[in-house]
Amino acid sequence: MLRFLIRRLLIAIPTMLLIATLAFALLHGTPGGPFDSAKRMPPAIQHSIEAKYHLNDPLWRQYARYLSDLARGDLGPSYQYRDTSVNELIRQGLPVDALIGSLAMLFAILLGGFFGILAAVRRGSAWDHVPMFFAALGIAVPVFVIGPLLILVFAIELHWLPAGDWEPGSVRFMILPVISLGFPYAAYIARMARSEMIEVLGSPFIRTARAKGLPERTILLRHAIRPVLTPLVSFLGPAFAGVLTGSIIIESVFGLPGIGRYFVTGAINRDYTLVVGITVLYGALIIGFNLLADLCYAWLDPRVRLHS
Amino acid sequence: MRALARALMLLTLLDLAGCSGNGAPAPSSIRVGTALAADQSLARTLDTMPRTLDPALVTDADGSRVVIDMFEGLTANAPDGSIIPGYASSWEVSPDGRAWTFHLRAGARWSNGDPLTAADFIYAWRHQVDPKTGSENAQELTPIVHAAEILAGRAAPETLGVDAPDPHTIRIALKDPTPYLLDLLADAFMMPLPRASLEHYGDDWTRPGHMVSSGPFMLKELVIGNRISLVKNPNYWAADTVRLERVTYYPLDRATQPSRFMAGDVQYTSFFSPEQYRWLKSQLGDQVQVGPYLGIQMLAFNMLEPPFADNRNLRLALTMAVDRQVLSEQVRQGVFPPAYAMTPVLPGFQEPLPEWASWSDDRRHAEARRLYAAAGYSASHPLKVELVYGTEPTNRDMMDALAAMWRVNLGAQIEPYNEEFRVMLQDLALHKAKLFWNGWAAEYPDPYTFEQLFKTGYAQNFGAYSDPSVDALLAAASVEPDKSKRYRLLEQSETLLNAEAPYIPLIYYSTLHLIKPYVKGVPRNPMDIDGSRYMYILEHEGR
Repeated sequence: MLRFLIRRLLIAIPTMLLIATLAFALLHGTPGGPFDSAKRMPPAIQHSIEAKYHLNDPLWRQYARYLSDLARGDLGPSYQYRDTSVNELIRQGLPVDALIGSLAMLFAILLGGFFGILAAVRRGSAWDHVPMFFAALGIAVPVFVIGPLLILVFAIELHWLPAGDWEPGSVRFMILPVISLGFPYAAYIARMARSEMIEVLGSPFIRTARAKGLPERTILLRHAIRPVLTPLVSFLGPAFAGVLTGSIIIESVFGLPGIGRYFVTGAINRDYTLVVGITVLYGALIIGFNLLADLCYAWLDPRVRLHS
Repeated sequence: MRALARALMLLTLLDLAGCSGNGAPAPSSIRVGTALAADQSLARTLDTMPRTLDPALVTDADGSRVVIDMFEGLTANAPDGSIIPGYASSWEVSPDGRAWTFHLRAGARWSNGDPLTAADFIYAWRHQVDPKTGSENAQELTPIVHAAEILAGRAAPETLGVDAPDPHTIRIALKDPTPYLLDLLADAFMMPLPRASLEHYGDDWTRPGHMVSSGPFMLKELVIGNRISLVKNPNYWAADTVRLERVTYYPLDRATQPSRFMAGDVQYTSFFSPEQYRWLKSQLGDQVQVGPYLGIQMLAFNMLEPPFADNRNLRLALTMAVDRQVLSEQVRQGVFPPAYAMTPVLPGFQEPLPEWASWSDDRRHAEARRLYAAAGYSASHPLKVELVYGTEPTNRDMMDALAAMWRVNLGAQIEPYNEEFRVMLQDLALHKAKLFWNGWAAEYPDPYTFEQLFKTGYAQNFGAYSDPSVDALLAAASVEPDKSKRYRLLEQSETLLNAEAPYIPLIYYSTLHLIKPYVKGVPRNPMDIDGSRYMYILEHEGR
């Protein structure tokens, strides 16, 4: 177990280095610099700005400087927001994404899990068809349609909830983004839970349990649920990283101060440090959540052994 | 359920917005009174998060909006855009137009109560031209004596031609008479700076709690990507005329601004997409406000290489084959008027329209075909060239329409080719593109700001056009203090430009705002300077 963990963490280091290097190379290789604008500057001023951000140095030295700062956890100054550091931007934005992402995931698991299992148990009835219709819809309809649709109904027509904005800790501002972000995942989970549950309910050990005369509720909650959760966990690891990183559209639809928007505007404005910084962060999150998913997997399913 | 039905209907309308939307405006459910509302808070939008709030460094339109709310310089803009006294209560100019003297208001104070003196202006301007500051605005100060030498690193910032003989007097020495000096002094980058804060906090001086300002409002809260909140500055010299207590700016995607407005979360938006005009008008009626703006969208030719250099007939053929009425009415829903020449409508300026501007479509097309043939092109030997433009969904339909017009009217094969904006800028600076998108917004209300785009050696003269007679007229106009004489010179130079056609005018931009009926005092001017200082909120029911 411990050896597995150490091994995985050691493999993560070259992976992260590769991510950082690729992001650095791609951005610096793109035409147009962070301080190019429609207004052209006198050379002395251009020079002075570039010197401030070390953009005059040879690329290898910029790269070396970047890596050594990165090793110390310093992602550098943002070029786009001239008086702010990348660390500060992430410190400010990540908690918002983490909160919205966790709530969306929780919403997706509860809603999707409940209706998926219900659909399997009541297979063929309206309890199966109606939720599965919405699940198909949830997978097919993209987030940038669900978000504005919810705004139209609950903010513009009914005035029940705000159409966007963010107050730390205020639930009113979280409801619509969480539903918009979580709904497609709820749909996936519902379909997955349904098919897993159907398979599990047909397996010999459930038949044995039934033959022993156990009540249906005990069979479902004690025996059937664990094997249903196993594939779900392997889906949730990457999905959680996806929710954290994929909320870019939600952020711009609802005007949330998360890091996804910095990422997009950063790329447009050639904010090298910001984009590389967020890429590295996203890379770390994906590696971290995958590792976590593997650990949970082993815990849930004794047949999985962590040695490879 | 009724709400859901209505929402679905609205969605359907959204889909149809491109081709219909002529329905009667929905009746507004907002009732407006005549007395001031108790809560004087305004929520308004920005298209992007400003890159900085440092007046010296701000370059984007959105940043300037916020800075103008927080800072005031020697002069300021009235709601109609004209220049009025700011912290200077009066000024004199020498007969040759080169020496200006400004007198500061007595008792002027920073938002923290410190006295605001002439030294704060001198400090700010020296800081601005110092190459160490790295300001993209610094070259705007080059009319001032020695500014160019300081920018080039050949002189110290202290040699700048400005001084303060006493704490209430500022003198500015100019190289040449600069007719737009008073407009320049109202710009964000000419604001005084609180030296003590800059020296104490360094780059962090623009944070809430650190930032000291001179204007009607002061910084309260800043969350990057979410909001900038300002509150009224009690130490502002005209604080008794400012009615808003709180102004909150929300940087929002242009596409989401109308929904936030319709939900009542914001009461004033800075811009909306012209593609949404007819639909918004059908939903919001008079809350949709369109006005003239000093900005033009055009195309320009590369004048260094074939096929357009040395082929005036070809350039004229392309410009005459464009149906501007169609661009304005069909492609831009009638909100952007057609442009036949460079300078948008400006009082006192006689726009030198080319003769063909008033011709019928058939006659214009016939002449365009004749010129196209005279230029050496035909159906068997068509013009094949790329039209380079910046990646933005709203540019694409315009470029496709142009390509279609040239194909139908001339038989030319012109392919729109989009590049990301920064990539395009780099290509333009290297003169790689032959035919390319070009847009310009006035820095001050004067035809010179548009025509300088075709001055030899000007940084944004991306087509590298060069005509000694145009240069001579522009040089004469730039030092002519008499406005009507200037305008006559600039009319002559624009006539020359139209005859040589180094550019293709397409449409003029407009100001496009959504304004709640209870928000009053909104400045309307063709520079779109819309400070919150003059706005106020009336009593109302509904949002």
